[in-house]
Order: sequence, then structure tokens, then C-alpha cells
Amino acid sequence: MDHCPRLSNMSMISQLLFGPFRPSIEAMRPMLYRIAYAWCHDAALADDLVQDTLSKAWTRRAQLRDEGSLKAWVVTIMHHCWLDHLRSRRDFEDVDDLQDSLESGAQSPEACCDREQVIAGVRAAVSRLPMGQRQVLTLVDLEEFGYAEVARILDIPVGTVMSRLSRARTSLKGLLDPAMQQPAARPALRRVK
Amino acid sequence: MNRVISDEILHAFVDGELDVDESEKLVARMREDAELKHRVCALRSLQNMVRLAYAEPPVSAGEKSLAPRRQFMQRCALGCLILVAGLSGGWALRGVESPAVAGVSAPVVGSYQAVSLTREADPNRVMLHLDSAAPERMQAALDQAERLLDEAEREGRAMQLEIVANSHGIDLMRAGVSPHAARMARMSQRHANLQWVACSQTIARFTGEGQKVELLPITRAAPTAIGEIVSRLQQGWTYVRV
Repeated sequence: MDHCPRLSNMSMISQLLFGPFRPSIEAMRPMLYRIAYAWCHDAALADDLVQDTLSKAWTRRAQLRDEGSLKAWVVTIMHHCWLDHLRSRRDFEDVDDLQDSLESGAQSPEACCDREQVIAGVRAAVSRLPMGQRQVLTLVDLEEFGYAEVARILDIPVGTVMSRLSRARTSLKGLLDPAMQQPAARPALRRVK
Repeated sequence: MNRVISDEILHAFVDGELDVDESEKLVARMREDAELKHRVCALRSLQNMVRLAYAEPPVSAGEKSLAPRRQFMQRCALGCLILVAGLSGGWALRGVESPAVAGVSAPVVGSYQAVSLTREADPNRVMLHLDSAAPERMQAALDQAERLLDEAEREGRAMQLEIVANSHGIDLMRAGVSPHAARMARMSQRHANLQWVACSQTIARFTGEGQKVELLPITRAAPTAIGEIVSRLQQGWTYVRV
């Protein structure tokens, strides 16, 4: 009832392309999209990133040794696609330098008690985090990857995962503080239309 | 150990990265240290906010115009589905007596039918929904809660459990009405991650009927029970109607 033509076309194409590996890998699409969106906050770019990731996963499927690590493996591929994309943006030479430079100019989120506003506020706050922190935070919080897995995916030491996570959450708390300081506002966050 | 616990350790704790021993120590300390408990709660709610923020990422350009309405319809459909599942589950189980509940401990929820939007029901985030003042149902809710929490503690899992009450189930959380107030206070003291949530709409209705509704101090009020349940489900919680 709710498949838009574009999506069903795309999944038909990927069905054709991907043969029998697909059920498991296609099932990752929503998960990948969520992460991609949390990284770039741009729906079209996130879509491209996921598409790119899925087709690379398909061509490299022989490299996957352990079916159990499929999810982390696919996310690793997406991380590389993302790095490629960042590198291709002319103004960034060294991705490590992105740490501080990639903050968006989004307004600081204000105290809010409406669910949609909270969502927008959190997204704005996350988009202000440096990329390294944003990636760690989203992998841990959205997909509950373990620290060791995140370290492998991003190819950084576990200690870095922990410190980035800690810094990310501290800044998030700072950015969202007005919203979190009001206990009275909390129940309202849960309201559903 | 009276040292201040570092943020990194707390993060590792809420992310389930500590080993059983360390978690237990921390849980024990949280029982006495309100400040620490508060820090953990703040972290958890931050984590929940992040999850909520990306539960439904916007779809890309081509379908934007239709999306909001569709999402709204989906959400309504989801709400209805959950309601139907809850109601029919409750109806089907209406004859089940608590002894039948005792022996079973399927992944999470005894013999109750659980609802979860994730592929595998999360045993560490569970809400129990009570909407009746029948003594055996109240009893069953508390027994079930205690069983789940004890089990989690034995296995060293950091479990979050919420008991959500609406309709006549709210009697469980009313000061002066609840037959289990003392036991509930004990449970709250023992389990830092146990929350009692009452439906404000029900309270308003009772108040409108001329009853004075006073909640036990351990209880917090949510705008509506159904809203609470749907949000929690979207955050990946497992729902059980007692």
C-alpha cells in the first residue's frame, strides 16, 4: 500500500542485481539508511550512500568470511564510501582534520516539549558534532554496536571510540540541556499524535 | 570505593560494555548514590532521545510530498495494530491464572504475549501494561516485574523495566488505594531501573468523576499510557500486557 514507485523499482533492480545474497543484505537497507542519514543529515545523499554500499557489498561478497559479522562488515563498507565521498569534496584533504571542521551551522536546539521539535533538536545537535564523534555515537546508540566492533568498523583504537563517545555525549547534553533540565517536559516528549 | 566514577565508565555501563562484576558493583553503588543514579538516568534518556530522533529518518526527495501523511497513517495503523494485539492477547489470556505463569520464562515474558517492533524482543527493555484493578492481575504484574529484574540481575544485565498503568490498573499506583505500596517501594529501592508510569488521562477522568487521585511518590505521570507505549515500542522496547 505504501511503496512508492521509485523505491519498488529500486528494490526490483537490486533484486535483479543481487541474486540470492540479497535477502540478508537488502534487509540491512533501513539500518544503513538510518546510519547514513545520521551521518550526513541529507536524505538524497544518504540514499546514494546506501545504494553505493549495497552494490559494493555485493561485488565484494566473497571477502565476507563470517556470516555473523555481516552487519558490521556492511557498515564498514559504508564507512569507506562515506570517507570517499568526504574526500571527493574538494575542500577536505585529510579526513582526520574533519574532526572540528565539519560542524554544521545549524541553530542550537532550544528547550522544547513537542515530539517533532525534540527530534529536530536532537538531529540539529548531532549534526553539530564533529564527524568522528558523530559516527561513533550513531553506531553505538542507534545500532548498539559494541565498542570493539565500532573500533574495527572505523579502524580506530577502542580508547578513541570511548573518548569520542564520551565527548559526543557531553556536547550533546550541553546542546540539549534546556530540554533535559525540565523534568516536567519529559513526559511530553513521549506524546504521540 | 568512594572515587567519583568517570563518564567513560558510566558510558560503558549504559552501553553494556562492562563485565558482570563491574556492572554489579556499579548497580550496587547506584542504590546508595542518588547523584550517580541521576547521571545514569540522564545518559539513558539522552540515548533514548538519539534513538527517537532517527527512528524514522526522512525519506529522500522523490517522495517527500506524500511522506508525512503516509507516515502519519503508518503510525495510526501501528497504534491500532498494537492495540488489537494487546486487546486480543489480553482476551485470549483472560482465563490464565498466575500459577500457569510461574513456570514459563520464554525469552522475556513468561507466558504473556509480547509485542516488539524489533526482530528479536529486547529482554533488557520491557514495559508491563496493567489496565485492571483485579487483585490477581496486580499481583501478576509485580511478580512478573520482580522475576524479570531478578533474572537480569543474576545474569548481570542492566535491565530497564517500566510498569505502565491506565484505566483501573492505576489503582496500583494510588497512594492510600494501592494494596502493594510497601512492596513497590521496596522494589524501587532494590532496582534502580524500575519505573512506575501512570496515565494522566486516566487520572483526569477519575478526578472528573469526583475521586481524588494521589499517586505514590515513586510514580511518574505520562500524558497518555498509549502514547508512552507507542513511543517505547518505537524505541525498541518490548511490550507485555499483564
